[in-house]
Amino acid sequence: MRTSRRITVLRTVFLIGGLGLVAIPFVWILLTAFKFPVDAASVPPEIFSPFTWSNFTQVFNGEYLQSVGNSVIITVGTTVATLAFGVPAGYALARGKFFGRRFLGAFLLFSRMVPPVIFIIPLFLFFHELGLIDSFLGLILAYLSGLLPFTIWLCASYFADIPQELEDAARVDGCSRFQAFLRVALPLAIPGVITVGMLIAIAAWSEYFIPLLLAGPYTTPATVGLVNFIGVDTINWGAMAAAALVLAVPVFFVTLLAQRGLLRGLTAGAIKG
Amino acid sequence: MQANRQAPASRGGLSLFGAFDRHFLVGVAWPSLVLMLAITAVPFILTIALAFTNYDLILSQNWKFIGLDNFGQLLADPQMPVVVFNTAYLVIATTVLDTLVGLALAILMEASFRGVGLIRSLYLLPIMTAPIIVALTWRAMFNDEAGWINYFLGLVGLPQPVWLGDPILAMPTVIISDMWTGVCFQAVLLLAGLLAVSKELKEAAVTDGANRWQVFRHVTLPSIRPILFVAVLLKAIDEFRKFEGIQILTTGGPGIATTTLNLQIYDTGLFYDQVGYAAAYGVLMIGMIALTAGGIWYFLGRNR
Repeated sequence: MRTSRRITVLRTVFLIGGLGLVAIPFVWILLTAFKFPVDAASVPPEIFSPFTWSNFTQVFNGEYLQSVGNSVIITVGTTVATLAFGVPAGYALARGKFFGRRFLGAFLLFSRMVPPVIFIIPLFLFFHELGLIDSFLGLILAYLSGLLPFTIWLCASYFADIPQELEDAARVDGCSRFQAFLRVALPLAIPGVITVGMLIAIAAWSEYFIPLLLAGPYTTPATVGLVNFIGVDTINWGAMAAAALVLAVPVFFVTLLAQRGLLRGLTAGAIKG
Repeated sequence: MQANRQAPASRGGLSLFGAFDRHFLVGVAWPSLVLMLAITAVPFILTIALAFTNYDLILSQNWKFIGLDNFGQLLADPQMPVVVFNTAYLVIATTVLDTLVGLALAILMEASFRGVGLIRSLYLLPIMTAPIIVALTWRAMFNDEAGWINYFLGLVGLPQPVWLGDPILAMPTVIISDMWTGVCFQAVLLLAGLLAVSKELKEAAVTDGANRWQVFRHVTLPSIRPILFVAVLLKAIDEFRKFEGIQILTTGGPGIATTTLNLQIYDTGLFYDQVGYAAAYGVLMIGMIALTAGGIWYFLGRNR
């Protein structure tokens, strides 16, 4: 008993120490966001320095606020579109037996392996032809390329956990397949769907590479806007940290509130795959 | 099965809805499939096709097929071996380090004690933070004059290197900053595997006289091998596409000391407009990913 207790203490010490390392970048953002520009760039660095809100007034008055608005539009649009396509397709994948099922399964794996940089050049050329550069529709379509396969895969794993017998019983009672999906399977899968929705929303909110190439003055999201605080020869670290904080805090809360679901969502695909 | 045949009959099988309903699964799967073909498969094939052309963003009207010229140029390109080496360096180092440290962290988090739920969820935060924020923050912290890291190293009397400007140190710096998220990611995945290992099996091994290491080596490790395979595969594939953590931290520099295939394709195709040549680099990248995935499957995924 004594040794096992000592191990628990040792375990906790290591885990808390690890959390200390995890915390350092967050602490940097938090402290820097409330520093005057002079203090934020001082050499040697000052860990603690006078407090100011000035970075936030700068962030909320400038074009960064506009880009946060763009991020919201893109995130909501991507999440809705991905779920609308992905949830029924995930159901189909879980329930099997239709033309193209094996192909769909293999295709999901394929699209997980190929990096976005391979898709993005032809997409850029297409979008250029179609006038979709710097449009919300174009961005959402491009975001779908990575997020839709993930959504289908994850939803399939949630639907596979729901006993088929429930839908069979509903069908005996006269439900159509569509009704069996809508009234029986979908309500049971709602917790899973919400988790997938949050994971997609966080991924869309955090995306940088796709909008760097396909967004423009009208649609730039906050992730790309963040880099504008890097000037030609100086970086406005205070304002950048304040802007990063604005971007990170919503995700922070969602993560802590929904951690159980997110933990399952992150791992469900991996275990079942 | 009986039910499947009865229900549509009771629904007037000739109506439009009846037709939709009989093909419900196909009907809901194919829109997604068509969409994905349009936004991933078609671009994928086009990128491979572009590798055989001299397509250029500025002179886009005058492109033609040039056979294997881009690949000839690739073989003669002095940057190519460096970029391939950098990619392999990054992928191997991060995959090995993130997985080993992540496994250790997962083992620490496996036990159930008071507060373990909160600890597990706090380790989720780096995974959920936008990579661009992570990259910008590490860039500030690794700054050789104003950064915290050199400040603390100075306090304890250690040397204060120019992390991001030193060709030898730049890649390790990228890798260290990667570990901040990567270790947490691997730990979360592997923890799920560890929690699913049969307790009876472990207890049986202890009853048979196995010590801790033997239980881990002969019971736990074989049980988590499927998820270990997936975790390693996903990690390696994600490192190939790593962008913010390099572009923002070092811009691929100093020189091309941290330029990976991903950045090279981005620079060549979209910065210097040589789309055809960038696509040839893309084909090289696809080959390297396929080789890596195959290797990981051979060592971890295969049924033995």
